[in-house]
Amino acid sequence: MSLQGVLVLNLIALALLLWVLNLIRHGRLYVGYGVIFVIATLGTMLLVSVPKLQTVLTHVIGAVFPVSALTLLALCFIVLMLLYTLTQLTIVSNRLSKLVQELAIERARAAALRGDAEPRGLRNELSE
Amino acid sequence: MDVKNGLRSEMVLLMLCVESHHTGECVFYHRLCCATTMNRTPGILIAIPAYNEAGTIAAIIGRVRDSLPDYDLLVVNDGSSDATGQILETLDATVATHMCNLGYGRAVQTAIMYALECGYDALVTLDADGQHQPEQIESLLREFRKEGWDVLIGSRYVAARGYRGAPLGRRLGMQLFSVLVKLIIGRRVYDTSSGLKIIRRTVFEPLTHWHFVDFHAEAIVYLMRLGYRIGEFPVTVAERTQGRSMYTPINYFKYPLKTSMLVLLGIIEAALTRRRHRS
Repeated sequence: MSLQGVLVLNLIALALLLWVLNLIRHGRLYVGYGVIFVIATLGTMLLVSVPKLQTVLTHVIGAVFPVSALTLLALCFIVLMLLYTLTQLTIVSNRLSKLVQELAIERARAAALRGDAEPRGLRNELSE
Repeated sequence: MDVKNGLRSEMVLLMLCVESHHTGECVFYHRLCCATTMNRTPGILIAIPAYNEAGTIAAIIGRVRDSLPDYDLLVVNDGSSDATGQILETLDATVATHMCNLGYGRAVQTAIMYALECGYDALVTLDADGQHQPEQIESLLREFRKEGWDVLIGSRYVAARGYRGAPLGRRLGMQLFSVLVKLIIGRRVYDTSSGLKIIRRTVFEPLTHWHFVDFHAEAIVYLMRLGYRIGEFPVTVAERTQGRSMYTPINYFKYPLKTSMLVLLGIIEAALTRRRHRS
């Protein structure tokens, strides 16, 4: 791969890395997914930057030719689509979690008021 | 009360709750809903997150009631699939039930949100597996009040550095994060993954605003970077006798990665928060 190709791919990977970290920071990407993206991106950057490593990997997995820059760019597109899907999934999942938490809290408070599970402080106050 | 009337009254109460949230003016209802202001020992809530702990939950609640009779108790049933829910119905505790399993971190967050909404001054969290001794909470609270900590962690490593009760993988993880916290904050926190904690009200909001895995090293680093005081107090921990640990073999790989990432992002988030507050 030419030096230009290595630079372009590394820049794309770096941008992806920063974007993923920012998504996690804002709670828009579940940290478990984020970890996978970060490891995969760092691995790709390493593989792209060290041509010898790429040759070794090609040999190890039994491929004939090392992966081309075009294939890596196509992979980048798939990764972006995947990232978008997982972000949407995380947002929906966060909303559901929030709903479940709020419902649990409101029901607990209602039960406390009804006297199903009367908090001791309330019982003491009422008996006085 | 028959079932129909029970359901109707629950609906009315829920509507009142929602209404009070929107208008923000129903102080009387807030007082009635949350017993904290009427408590004999005002402001302390003990919370137990529980997931499939049918074997131990009754004993733990009994021990909490015996040793701390004046405190309010909340059990967060995190979508248990065993008999935990049915057992809790028969016990003297307020129960917040997640309709599905959200994980330990979310269960603790629910307890924090409940404590925040109900106006509690401090929250004590302890695990439902019977490893923590409720009898030690009183001395923990004395230290908490005396030193004015924002978060006080009940630590199994302060008195006995060589504690061997936890599995090797978890001990290594705790060592790793203890060293990481020392490198970032400059002070060693020996038991970053302890479930026994006392959290002051001032910390409730930062803990609900940001997201954490299990309120372990990532929360400690985030809070310390925001300038909150976190201390450790020696406690003894019993070995788990029933139920299953939340740390499965795959978690030994996932947990350090997720926590490390949130530690890193926590540093950035705390710096940005400080900058926002200054400006």
